[in-house]
Amino acid sequence: MAASPSVVPMAAPMMPVLSSSSDFSNLREIKKQLLLIAGLTRERGLLHSSKWSAELAFSLPALPLAELQPPPPITEEDAQDMDAYTLAKAYFDVKEYDRAAHFLHGCNSKKAYFLYMYSRYLSGEKKKDDETVDSLGPLEKGQVKNEALRELRVELSKKHQARELDGFGLYLYGVVLRKLDLVKEAIDVFVEATHVLPLHWGAWLELCNLITDKEMLKFLSLPDTWMKEFFLAHIYTELQLIEEALQKYQNLIDVGFSKSSYIVSQIAVAYHNIRDIDKALSIFNELRKQDPYRIENMDTFSNLLYVRSMKSELSYLAHNLCEIDKYRVETCCVIGNYYSLRSQHEKAALYFQRALKLNPRYLGAWTLMGHEYMEMKNTSAAIQAYRHAIEVNKRDYRAWYGLGQTYEILKMPFYCLYYYRRAHQLRPNDSRMLVALGECYEKLNQLVEAKKCYWRAYAVGDVEKMALVKLAKLHEQLTESEQAAQCYIKYIQDIYSCGEIVEHLEESTAFRYLAQYYFKCKLWDEASTCAQKCCAFNDTREEGKALLRQILQLRNQGETPSTEMPAPFFLPASLSANNTPTRRVSPLNLSSVTP
Amino acid sequence: MASVHESLYFNPMMTNGVVHANVFGIKDWVTPYKIAVLVLLNEMGRTGEGAVSLMERRRLNQLLLPLLQGPDITLSKLYKLIEESCPQLANSVQIRIKLMAEGELKDMEQFFDDLSDSFSGTEPEVHKTSVVGLFLRHMILAYSKLSFSQVFKLYTALQQYFQNGEKKSVEDADMELTSREEGERKMEKEELDVSIREEEVSCSGPLSQKQAEFFLSQQASLLKNDETKALTPASLQKELNNLLKFNPDFAEAHYLSYLNNLRVQDVFSSTHSLLHYFDRLILTGAESKSNGEEGYGRSLRYAALNLAALHCRFGHYQQAELALQEAIRIAQESNDHVCLQHCLSWLYVLGQKRSDSYVLLEHSVKKAVHFGLPYLASLGIQSLVQQRAFAGKTANKLMDALKDSDLLHWKHSLSELIDISIAQKTAIWRLYGRSTMALQQAQMLLSMNSLEAVNAGVQQNNTESFAVALCHLAELHAEQGCFAAASEVLKHLKERFPPNSQHAQLWMLCDQKIQFDRAMNDGKYHLADSLVTGITALNSIEGVYRKAIVLQAQNQMSEAHKLLQKLLIHCQKIRNTEMVISVLLSVAELYWRSSSPTIALPVLLQALALSKEYRLQYLASETVLNLAFAQLWRQPLRISMKPRTILQRSTAKSKSEMLFTSRPDSTTPWGRPRRGTDARCSSGSCIRNCPLMGCP
Repeated sequence: MAASPSVVPMAAPMMPVLSSSSDFSNLREIKKQLLLIAGLTRERGLLHSSKWSAELAFSLPALPLAELQPPPPITEEDAQDMDAYTLAKAYFDVKEYDRAAHFLHGCNSKKAYFLYMYSRYLSGEKKKDDETVDSLGPLEKGQVKNEALRELRVELSKKHQARELDGFGLYLYGVVLRKLDLVKEAIDVFVEATHVLPLHWGAWLELCNLITDKEMLKFLSLPDTWMKEFFLAHIYTELQLIEEALQKYQNLIDVGFSKSSYIVSQIAVAYHNIRDIDKALSIFNELRKQDPYRIENMDTFSNLLYVRSMKSELSYLAHNLCEIDKYRVETCCVIGNYYSLRSQHEKAALYFQRALKLNPRYLGAWTLMGHEYMEMKNTSAAIQAYRHAIEVNKRDYRAWYGLGQTYEILKMPFYCLYYYRRAHQLRPNDSRMLVALGECYEKLNQLVEAKKCYWRAYAVGDVEKMALVKLAKLHEQLTESEQAAQCYIKYIQDIYSCGEIVEHLEESTAFRYLAQYYFKCKLWDEASTCAQKCCAFNDTREEGKALLRQILQLRNQGETPSTEMPAPFFLPASLSANNTPTRRVSPLNLSSVTP
Repeated sequence: MASVHESLYFNPMMTNGVVHANVFGIKDWVTPYKIAVLVLLNEMGRTGEGAVSLMERRRLNQLLLPLLQGPDITLSKLYKLIEESCPQLANSVQIRIKLMAEGELKDMEQFFDDLSDSFSGTEPEVHKTSVVGLFLRHMILAYSKLSFSQVFKLYTALQQYFQNGEKKSVEDADMELTSREEGERKMEKEELDVSIREEEVSCSGPLSQKQAEFFLSQQASLLKNDETKALTPASLQKELNNLLKFNPDFAEAHYLSYLNNLRVQDVFSSTHSLLHYFDRLILTGAESKSNGEEGYGRSLRYAALNLAALHCRFGHYQQAELALQEAIRIAQESNDHVCLQHCLSWLYVLGQKRSDSYVLLEHSVKKAVHFGLPYLASLGIQSLVQQRAFAGKTANKLMDALKDSDLLHWKHSLSELIDISIAQKTAIWRLYGRSTMALQQAQMLLSMNSLEAVNAGVQQNNTESFAVALCHLAELHAEQGCFAAASEVLKHLKERFPPNSQHAQLWMLCDQKIQFDRAMNDGKYHLADSLVTGITALNSIEGVYRKAIVLQAQNQMSEAHKLLQKLLIHCQKIRNTEMVISVLLSVAELYWRSSSPTIALPVLLQALALSKEYRLQYLASETVLNLAFAQLWRQPLRISMKPRTILQRSTAKSKSEMLFTSRPDSTTPWGRPRRGTDARCSSGSCIRNCPLMGCP
């Protein structure tokens, strides 16, 4: 901080302050840097990066007047281009890009040059979008290109070779390369940009989009700054490495960014991705309180509300967002979810379509639309929607899963195997795909594979708690009574140990089977316990009573439990000892025998 | 954060979630190249009868169709093509385009206005419904649909097109005249071109729907008929990716990509492409609209069926069966007998891999005839004939059946099946040991011209039947000792079916077998031994058999015996009679060589009975020969007279001669009993190639 007056020497403008250190010990310094970069990006029309930096800066405590930074001094070059820049920036802000570029032509200062190139780029993009509607034929649509890109690339690569590009210039060069599908070169340039100007979030974000797996991340040589932590946390979330991401975000919060709505929302999204619904919901609610007019990430929030079928909350959210801005992708998505929850699927599909019109690259909407068409039994449209989602992002496991479901509904169990397998590949630890796979195999009478799937589903942590029952039934079918009994026991233990309030349909089946199993093994005590349990359920009451009578009869005949009979599995002591037919047993008693 | 996918565009034509690729029915649109072709047509119409000679006009007319259908080409190429057929017309076309491109927008507008004149008048230059007329009308329609900005875009594109065509000549002429500034600009451009060119090398530009369809059908038919002429797998895939990038809804491209992946045996990509195709097909095609639920369900059935075919092709028989069951179930539910019929044929193909299922096949043939599916019917008949041949039915019945199916082929001009039928006959004749007949049939196939209209210019296709026939030819020659001729045939095979093409395995096996026989005859056992691995890779049973022979020749009798016994049991299980007899003969030889000819006799008699029962004359005569030899060993004085009778009918002439001249104790082996034929002509795999299945 002592060096702050000399922070911006004339010769190398902005360099010292922008080369930030990697530790978070000096939050004031960080805040200063954030404010500075927010200003710089704003001047260059990089609105999203500016917004991000400002948001983050806002979450840190305010600076006293003495420490506020003076705006960076104006260089000779800047002064020369000042008029042109001011005019062009005004044009730029009202989206007259060509006009802005025209007046900036020939400017030498870095800032003006960047704005010049950037407006040319944006003008090309805008024209491209206009052209798309006006193209000559259907096949040409995909071919509409941003004509400016090639020229921009040539000019920028010359500057790049001459090492005349600053951090922003490099960022723009990278964007141009990426748009030309030159991914490798683009990554190199973005990495360079982060080295030169680590504070610019846009460059990091672009890098995030280009990195497809963990291996790639390992081989990047990134600058050692505090921004890197944000980047890593973000990319871990993108790559579904949720544990690591949460760890990183927790660290950031501990350091002092606890008020940042960006971090809070990212954590919520991460919890959503690992399906920790309650946590995600509470965080989102918190976020809504902090930042009531926020629209970003609200689609994720609505997904969570949907899963929990919280109608009133979803309705409130939808109306609220609609008031804020109806024509946002997220808003349309939330409304779509709302209608879907109310089973008005046509309307829901309509809103998802609207979301796609607003942003055709918004892949979540394709998948959700697929779900809606599935509900409407319009399988062909559903398949189409899912295929679109996959085209946008091949790693969208929900779309693959949806395709699988569609074909399963069309009674093509073998055909849908492929899709489920793809989904499983993308989410190897998601039990839903495994259960779906198992069901398909079961339909195809491939019981060995089905068993494997169910077992694996149980092993990775079954969400719906159905895998074990299905597995048990399979064993039952194959007359592997011991395994079946074992599965049922595990199932019951599972249910009791997590103390679910929800009524489990299969519980009675499990007890009935176990009662009969013990009866066959002549373990009268266990059998009678299970039979008593059976009496607690409507559908098995009679059977349970009959079995109890039989047991009583046999006991009265003086037949003792045969000791030679192998009885590999016993009910947990607490259960068998407990003669009163209370259903709920405290989870502690069971934990000791949980396998 | 939006993950960017460039090819995805917003489609305003989306109704009810289904994107209709072709809402306006625009299959074609105006491009600068099309304008050039239009100019050519216009010029042709303008020049009167006398100006262009008859030959030139004929050449021009021949040129027109590929120009109308093919992909866009550069202006200089177009000039060259026209020049080759008619120089003076090329000149006038060039001038007209130059005038149009260097003039004003109104020139182009005027040109299109004038185009429709060619239909008017009492004696119009062009008929409205002719190929050219349709093209002209398409173009006029497409042009009139263009919006204000599109017209201008088209004109600038035309100027660009023209300049690119001119560039070459200009470059040579006034290089030094360009000022420094311009030179710099040019440098920039060049640099740009060089860097971009690598990525765009295959992107010959977008194809209109018509051009794309033409491209796909052309490549698909080439893949089927003559693989070597099609694009290489890599470049074809590149083209397809390009096509799909421009239009992700173009489902047919996925199917071709599936076929292409099959070529390189890539199971993952081909599955992916196939399923993608059907996902897309279900939705896009206009028929799904008109046929409603029917058309949609139809593609589902065929999707499952094709998946079965895919698994079968990669040898995943269990999966194939599951997929097939699915297809059958869905087809049954919707009463689609035609689809069921296809399923039945496939069921046979799958069943064939394990046990004989001729009941299934007979049923299939009957049903196919009933539903009027000549292709499936005659394919069934051929499979049936093949199976009966192995089961030892008499030749006259088989030939009768083949004749009947031939009638069917000629009636429906199924040229592919005619080829297969002849190849089949070759194989059957060889199986029975009638080398002359086999030779005659093979020659007949080879000297026949293709009937297919698609490649009228090409004499023959490079289909599997030709490969089979040529292999038989090579083996027949080798059997008669004409090794030079055989190697000549093999050389031809190698040229026609390069090593990485679909049917290359056929000649590879054949080649190695011949080499093996030769090495054995020359007594170079080590050489033969080294060939065994290659043979085993291509055909495991054959490989084991040859291995045993080598072992036997190297006097490792016990190993050879063990191997042969195993093989015998296996072959009896899979009912490969031909191989059983060959193995029996080898076993017998093994016995008499280990000086116990008495044990050899019952074995030989068994072989004789078998070969008589199955009417395998070649093997029968070999057996008799062996029998005689065994007896010779037993009673050296009474040389049996049998060989002489064999001499009259046997092709194993040289062997019996050797028998006469050689003493029983001579060390030279007089050649081992050789497996006569490989009648496995491939109607099974032809079912697999059935083209109907792809396009429900």
